Formats: sequence, C-alpha cells, structure tokens
Amino acid sequence: MTDRFRQDLVATVPKLRRFALSLTGNAADADDLVQSACVKALKNAEQFREGTRMDSWMYRIIQTLWIDDRRRAKTRGAAIDPEDAGLSDGGKSARLPEDRMMLGLARKAMATLPEKQRAALSLVAIEGLSYKETAQVLDVPVGTVMSRLARAREALMPQLGLTKGALQ
Amino acid sequence: MSFETVMKKTRLAAFADGELSPEEAAEVVMHLADHPEDQAYVDALMVASETLAEAFSGPMNEPVPKAIEQAILGNGPTAQIVPFRRRPAVWVGTALAASVAAALVAVPLAFSPNPSGDDLAVGLVKPGSYLARTLDTLPSGTPETVGEGREVMILATLPVDGGYCREIEVIDQTADRIDLGVACRRNAGWNVEVTLSEPLSATGTEDGFVAASGAEVQGLQPFLDRLGTGVALDPVSEADAIAKGWSR
Repeated sequence: MTDRFRQDLVATVPKLRRFALSLTGNAADADDLVQSACVKALKNAEQFREGTRMDSWMYRIIQTLWIDDRRRAKTRGAAIDPEDAGLSDGGKSARLPEDRMMLGLARKAMATLPEKQRAALSLVAIEGLSYKETAQVLDVPVGTVMSRLARAREALMPQLGLTKGALQ
Repeated sequence: MSFETVMKKTRLAAFADGELSPEEAAEVVMHLADHPEDQAYVDALMVASETLAEAFSGPMNEPVPKAIEQAILGNGPTAQIVPFRRRPAVWVGTALAASVAAALVAVPLAFSPNPSGDDLAVGLVKPGSYLARTLDTLPSGTPETVGEGREVMILATLPVDGGYCREIEVIDQTADRIDLGVACRRNAGWNVEVTLSEPLSATGTEDGFVAASGAEVQGLQPFLDRLGTGVALDPVSEADAIAKGWSR
C-alpha cells in the first residue's frame, strides 16, 4: 500500500464523516463508522482500482458496515440526538433562527427515513453523486435508486414544511 | 398539502438532481414555464437538498479527527482499531455461543434437508449437488426458490488468499428459520466453513433477504475477519470469477 493511498484516504475523511453523520445521526457513531471503514479499506487496499473514485469506494464500505450494524443491532427508528448532530458547528452555519430550526428539522427528518432510503438520499442530495454512481455504491439498479429517492422525499419534504401550500 | 404535478415527479427530480441531458433539461425548463405547480415542486426539491447538505455540513469544516488520521497513517498508539461496535452474542446452534471468540469452530447445523437432499452443513460440499451448483453459478443478490416457503440466496462473494468465499443464506418461512453459511473454495470444490442460524422472526429483514454485502446473523463477522476476507466483489468482478470457474 502506498503513502499516496493513505494520503488520499485522509483527504476523503471530511466527506466520509458527512456521509456517516447523515446515516447515523450522531457524531460519535459517525466517527466510529468512518474509522472502521478506513481500517477495512486499508486491509483491502489492493482491491481499490487506480483511477476510480476513492470516495465512492469508501461510501460503499461505509454503507455496508452501517447496514450490517443496524441489522445486527436490530434497532429501528431514530437514534438521533439533534443537539449531538448539531455539535459539529453548533448550528452556527445557519445565519437565522429559522434557518437553524430548518436544519434541525432536516436532521430529525433524515433519521426517520428507512435506512435504504436514507442512504440513497444522502448520496444524491448531500454527497452529490449521480444516480448511476449511487446505484453502484448501493449495488442496486438505477431505477431502485430513483424509487428510493422518491419515497424518501415524499416522507421528508412535509417534515421540512415543504408542501404545496407553503410554497404558494 | 402534498404536491401534485403534471409531469412525473421522478422526471422533475431527475431534472433537479442534474441527471438530464441538456436537451432533456431544456424540455423540462419549457414545461416549467407553463406549469407553476411543477416549478414549485422543483423549487421544493432543491430547497430540501440544499437544507440537507447544510444540515450535515459540519464535518466539512472540521479537521480530520486524530484517531481516524492515525488509524489511516499508521502512526501512534491508536492505529490498532477496535471493531466498529461490540457485537452481542448470538444463538449459534448450542455449542458455539460460548466459544465464538476462541477459534473458527466448525459447527454442524441441524438444518433440515431441502427437497433435493442437500444440507447446508459444515464440511466439503458434494460435487454436482444443488448446493455446489448454487455456489458455482448463482450471482449474489438473486433469490432462488428451492421448495415451498424456502429460498436460497448468495449474499456476497468475498476474496480470500488463494480463492473465494461466498456467504449463502437459506430462509425457511415455514420453519421460521434463517440459516447462513460461509463456503470457501481455494483449490477444487467448495467447503462450508461455518454455519449460523436464528429464528427468522428475530431478524427484522425488510424484504426477506439481507443486503448483498452483509451477514444477517449476528456474530458472523468474527469468522469473516478470521478468514481474512476482503471487500465483497462488485457484480462485474463476481461474474468474471463465475465465468472463470473460480480460478484465480
């Protein structure tokens, strides 16, 4: 394994932590998840293909570990602590009180989504992956990504106050 | 009040997500000019995405935590990382639970035979048997019905030194039972290294099967780690391995 591989991996950590935070809903679990994924990646570095996207490869590992852990833990529902989730910036990134409230709603709403929908929405809406890239990370057809996105948004948007009436 | 759109919502979402070609996007733009209700939905999609990105943006403005950096760069005492989370004990037959961490233990499983007479049991897989054919040819994530209320699926193919291992899952709805095995092939033939089991009703699977990447039954991961398995092959690599008869 080259030093370049390790350096590239360090460089992706902020994005990996963001993705993990969107999945787990709290900073501590997110960092545990990222750290485990990095260890797994280092053990299997020879499987990484030069010239491919390291972030996508890592998203796949993170998503796999998280789904496995969620299923093993047999937990369902939100484990999110809005205060904890907001620890990263204390909500300072939002300039207005209503903005901060909106961000809190977004974190809560994300935690209510089923895992598969949450992962798809996070990869597309937060990480900016294309549908095709998301399908590769999740190992599902593009159509499945689209349907998971649609269901996730149908559930999430009303929780954010984004309804037909609100926008008129 | 939820949105009702003229154009299909998935099309509008694809537009908002930047998935459309320039020509397709231009068509949507023209449509939106005449359909304010669809424009409102696109606006809401974009607001939702921007809000989500902002809500979880904290890590992007923070330094990499020292523990993670050291885990990657390999310097410092925290380079030895503990597993993601402690995994609780699992019912594995009767004998394994107490010794799950001690060694890779071969545990015969009281697994009722399927109609073709195959057993998912520790040991060499009989060449030509249903189980052998399944391990040889069935792609991961493809459920196959093997009897009333019973389905088999390969969960993942994992490379190991000198060969491959495949996670295989058998769901028996009638018996309320889920069985999982890891079979490895290093030279010729498959050998079931370990089997685990638990009541199906306890697994909480959403759609009957677990993800292609994972092991459903708690406690399997230590065995996979002990076997030194790598990251699951992607579908293309797996198809290539199947086509080559699992030779490396």
